[in-house]
Amino acid sequence: MRNRRPVIAAVLTAATMVSAAALAVVALHGRGAPAAGDSAPGGTRMAHLSADAAALAPPAKPAFTVATPRPLRLSSRVSMWAPVILPTVARARPRAHAHIVARISTRTPEGTTNILLALGVRRDAMHRLWVHVRLPILPTNTTGWVRRTALGGYRFVRTRLVVDLHALEATLYQGRKALFHAPVGVGAIGTATPVGRFYIRDRLTRYASPFYGPIAFGTSARSPVLTDWPAGGYIGIHGTNEPKLIPGRISHGCIRLRNADIRRLATLMPIGTPVAIESGR
Amino acid sequence: MHPHPAAPKTTRANMLRRAIVGSGAVAAGAVVGAGIPDESFSDPSPAQDARILNFALQLEYLQARFYAEALRSAGLTGELHEFARVAGAHERAHVAFLEKHLGRRAKTAPPLRFGEAIRDPHRFAAAAVTLEDLAVAAYNGQGTNLTRPALAAAVEILSVEARHAAWVRDLVGKLPATRAQDPLWSATKATHKLMQTGFVEA
Amino acid sequence: MNERPSILDGLDPEGRVRESLLETLGIGRTELLLAALAGAATWTAGHASHAAGAGLTENDTRILRFDLQLEYLQATMYTQALRLGHLRPAVRDAARVVGAHEWAHAHALKTILGRRAVPPGFFDYHGVTEDEHAFLRPAVAFEDLTAALLKYQAIRLDSRAVLAAAISLHSVEARHAAWLRRIAGVLPTLTAFDRPASQAKMRDLILSTHFVAEDPTTGARRAPGFTG
Repeated sequence: MRNRRPVIAAVLTAATMVSAAALAVVALHGRGAPAAGDSAPGGTRMAHLSADAAALAPPAKPAFTVATPRPLRLSSRVSMWAPVILPTVARARPRAHAHIVARISTRTPEGTTNILLALGVRRDAMHRLWVHVRLPILPTNTTGWVRRTALGGYRFVRTRLVVDLHALEATLYQGRKALFHAPVGVGAIGTATPVGRFYIRDRLTRYASPFYGPIAFGTSARSPVLTDWPAGGYIGIHGTNEPKLIPGRISHGCIRLRNADIRRLATLMPIGTPVAIESGR
Repeated sequence: MHPHPAAPKTTRANMLRRAIVGSGAVAAGAVVGAGIPDESFSDPSPAQDARILNFALQLEYLQARFYAEALRSAGLTGELHEFARVAGAHERAHVAFLEKHLGRRAKTAPPLRFGEAIRDPHRFAAAAVTLEDLAVAAYNGQGTNLTRPALAAAVEILSVEARHAAWVRDLVGKLPATRAQDPLWSATKATHKLMQTGFVEA
Repeated sequence: MNERPSILDGLDPEGRVRESLLETLGIGRTELLLAALAGAATWTAGHASHAAGAGLTENDTRILRFDLQLEYLQATMYTQALRLGHLRPAVRDAARVVGAHEWAHAHALKTILGRRAVPPGFFDYHGVTEDEHAFLRPAVAFEDLTAALLKYQAIRLDSRAVLAAAISLHSVEARHAAWLRRIAGVLPTLTAFDRPASQAKMRDLILSTHFVAEDPTTGARRAPGFTG
């Protein structure tokens, strides 16, 4: 086998010598007189910082700038929700064998991912995480504890919806600011809309049912009266094909908005928004 | 897929050598500028790389001397002492690297005197903050003018200077990173700031 | 695509609302992405560089889109840790500043990418953000690897202006890494020279954490079964 190394070494050496010579050419012609008096042994020169700096081009201008932000401050009116990724149970206490309050599935009756509004997090004696959640069951306002491992990633929401059953109005807030306000139709006597704390669970669109208008939001609220209703008797927030009845006490429990209003609300209210339904008196 | 001229397998040393010496063999008698492939942004060149890296070398000389002298005279203790030891070793490695690859092109440092900054831990720490932040801004500014191989080497050094800056700032109770975006200084500005320290004898 | 300006514009650090807008308008994510790509292809020169990803090469766009997702992942992690992690003061102060920087980076990248920007992913930190000790490990890992990634990307960018921006972010990430390492009780620096790391390496880290989760399906095209 031929040994090519000496040949390659010779080529590289030649290249190096030529390039070094070329660079030396640049050095002599490119910079003017050397700094006064200072030539260290071996041919190196002492730096003259200002002169050397002046020979260097300015920096390229960045394609974008980033303003210095304020440190993160957490606003207080923020809610949290998480999807249910494993079928699980909600217990009365954050403990392994506490009483089971409800069985939680990963899907809603609408076929969407089941989500839970998270109220807090705690560890048990075995250092396992439990999440305190608002439950989509009766009785109204039931909460429970589920294992963190049954839930997916948290999402934070800054909005909250308040429905006043007396004034027949719905208002969407972000912090203290009201983003949206509209008249509503609510449950008629006998099929009243439940009072309490709930949350928006999902959003249905593109269905052919004018009774519900163009958009329908599912909530965690259930009618305490229509307990035999197929698909659980959940309270929705949706549009209508009878706008003239709004405001009014007209429904089986659902909260109805005029279609233009529900469309507007849909651009402002994310999934997981907490809903407070108040009697208003 | 956009062609990427940087060769991932080369070592830092190889990349820098290619930057300074010119990549590929050059025919005998060729003049700089003709026949050396420009595998970089439009303006950068191996010759400019050498000027920039010489400038960087001055900063590294200064820092290396600064830490060495402080370790001897500043009465450093605890984590501040550890910082000076670790950072000083890094700066010496940076000096060695740049000197080796500039070879005969390497300039020596101008005379340096650090005065009180190396006689007292508080003054040392304050000066270290100034010098490390300065190094970051200077390397950032010059980085955009380097050829890709030289840039690849420079960012490896600059990243360490940024860590030094964060560390010593934390040690003196300053925020390690105040801005979301570090400044890009021209060499002129960096030199001006350097002269303000008084460490370089005029 | 024709999006109404609303409170949904701009970043919403504690809640991603864009999904609801898309669902309301009946446009799925895929359709939006295709529309954005089609739009970018017909973009003419002369627009301000901050609008709609004008002037970025395909290569640079791909790099910045990757960085944007990474910034979202880190920024969201800091926000969640602040909210849930019971962080001690030194950690809390770092998370407030570093997290704010990452959100600012994300916002800047989103702006420069314009229509080519990616929406934030859906992140599940699997209990890591509820625990200060557990949180510091991935926080340090991501900061170290982000600094390494930006070195890898820097020499692969087409645009010098984008390089100038990237280089100024890179040193900040290195500062973050040193800061968090010190908080975590390890040496702020690694060696005299910090090595680059590829996008593939970063992808491996992200996959190993399982932090990127599937979007929950909170919308459906179905007739409601509510009580009415």
